[in-house]
Amino acid sequence: MDLIVDAVAEAWRLLRTGDNDIYGITLRTAAITGTSTLVALLIGLPLGLGLALARFPGQRSFIALANAGTGTPPVVAGLLVSIMLWRSGPLGGLGLIYTPAAIVIAQALIAAPLIVAITAAAVMALPPALHLQIRAMGANQRQYLWLIAREARLPLLVAIMAGFGAVVSEVGASMMVGGTLAGETRVLTTAAVLEVSKGQFGSALALGFILLAFILVIAAALTIVQQRARRR
Amino acid sequence: MIALAFRDIRVRRGPREVLRVPVLNVAQGETIAVLGPNGAGKSTLLLAGALLLDLAAGDIALFGERALDGRSRLRQRRLTATVFQESALLDMSARRNIETALALHSVPRADRRGRADQWLSRLGVAHLANASPHTLSGGEAQRVALARAFAIQPRLLFLDEPFSSLDPGTRAELVGELRSLLADGSTAALFVTHDLSEAQLLADRVAVLLDGDLAQHDTVEVVWSRPASPAVAAFLGYALVEPTQLPAAVTEAASIPANAGTVAIRPTAVRLSIDRTEIGSAYRGDASIVAVQGAHGRGRLLLDLGEARIAAELPVEEIRSFKVGGIVKIEIDPGGLVSW
Repeated sequence: MDLIVDAVAEAWRLLRTGDNDIYGITLRTAAITGTSTLVALLIGLPLGLGLALARFPGQRSFIALANAGTGTPPVVAGLLVSIMLWRSGPLGGLGLIYTPAAIVIAQALIAAPLIVAITAAAVMALPPALHLQIRAMGANQRQYLWLIAREARLPLLVAIMAGFGAVVSEVGASMMVGGTLAGETRVLTTAAVLEVSKGQFGSALALGFILLAFILVIAAALTIVQQRARRR
Repeated sequence: MIALAFRDIRVRRGPREVLRVPVLNVAQGETIAVLGPNGAGKSTLLLAGALLLDLAAGDIALFGERALDGRSRLRQRRLTATVFQESALLDMSARRNIETALALHSVPRADRRGRADQWLSRLGVAHLANASPHTLSGGEAQRVALARAFAIQPRLLFLDEPFSSLDPGTRAELVGELRSLLADGSTAALFVTHDLSEAQLLADRVAVLLDGDLAQHDTVEVVWSRPASPAVAAFLGYALVEPTQLPAAVTEAASIPANAGTVAIRPTAVRLSIDRTEIGSAYRGDASIVAVQGAHGRGRLLLDLGEARIAAELPVEEIRSFKVGGIVKIEIDPGGLVSW
């Protein structure tokens, strides 16, 4: 019981005194997960739209693949990125292993299938008449895609939330491709693991609180956007 | 000028050919109703004309210009507007739905709101300008959809059973409003329906599609009085019988040729002679009631006339007093018989 009380007291002290290391880790986490989500969105949104709207042989197999991709274990994504970026690997020359960029790549690889699958499902769930109506209204391809994405905006926000949730909470891939280099690649999840391994439960708990607060703030912001979109 | 021309078009859905139309023209300012039972290819014809699906063969021309692929297709499509059975409003206010359509047609931003409000007002839904589509009734949503279609000032309008899901009262109101909107003759229209009365009210000419084929194409009066084939007659509600099944007095009065194989009897040619109304050369006799049917304000009695079964059309409120198995006195107007 003392362990828990001490850990909570230590966490509160660190948060109250504004520990520089912790705030640095928090800012880095925000930057890395924000970038990962954005990259996953840039890849996932067009792929999801394409998968739902284009007609090509093997389309169902690709949709099944995207759906299967939602269950990609972070460790497997981390392993793949590690192999690619390892110094002797195919992209080793880029020197990205153990950098924030490597974490972004691995996290985007985890989030993108989620965004692809949810986007495709959202667009396929729209009434077929709506697709025809938008074309009949005289929309060109760009305007058509924009209006379709707009019609599916509520589930698309769910896709963003799911993508962000996946990257902000994963630890295996980040640890594998980024390590936990202080001041460089240490993020909230990997830092918490490190603190636990050192028996520093107070620090780990403080990091856990911040991680939860961070997720809550982002989820609340996205929910507000979603509610506003629904009212429009 | 020909607003829309179909030439030898064929449309496939998978391995199946679902539409074959050799020639069909819609003139500038003309309204053509496309009639046919479910699955006849009516909506497919409309989608082909609206350049919303690819042809397996043939050509479509809008205002004399052959429809091709790519940008010219988009430019031609922007001369048209389409209203579907489901109103398919975008998830935005009624006014923004219209403004979005106007934006797609490059109408300057400053003019969009005024034009949207003008058309919402014209269709009687100005008070719903800020309403979300989810809060609109079926009739209100179709009014907004019509306002959106007319706001872009299309030269060619496609209507795919736009009123079929509405209650009879709303439907009658909207048919009337559509009629007045089309009355100025600036817009040609292709109007898909399976309701003959809507076609009679709105259309200059009728195209009957049966099983993917253009079975008849003529004025409403000609199609109604002289169906081109027994299949068209059956679709229009005529009773089909063999000449020998009819009393000789009927075939003689109607001058049915001796070699005729099939006779079609228009339901409105069969009248109940309760009021003893005289029809010049009408046949009079007894018939037993086989079935009492009714829909869309019209009732039908299926009658057994010895060897033949014929139908009589009556207002639905009159038909309630008839019972299956009862005997009625009937008159058949020989002018309502067609033979092949």
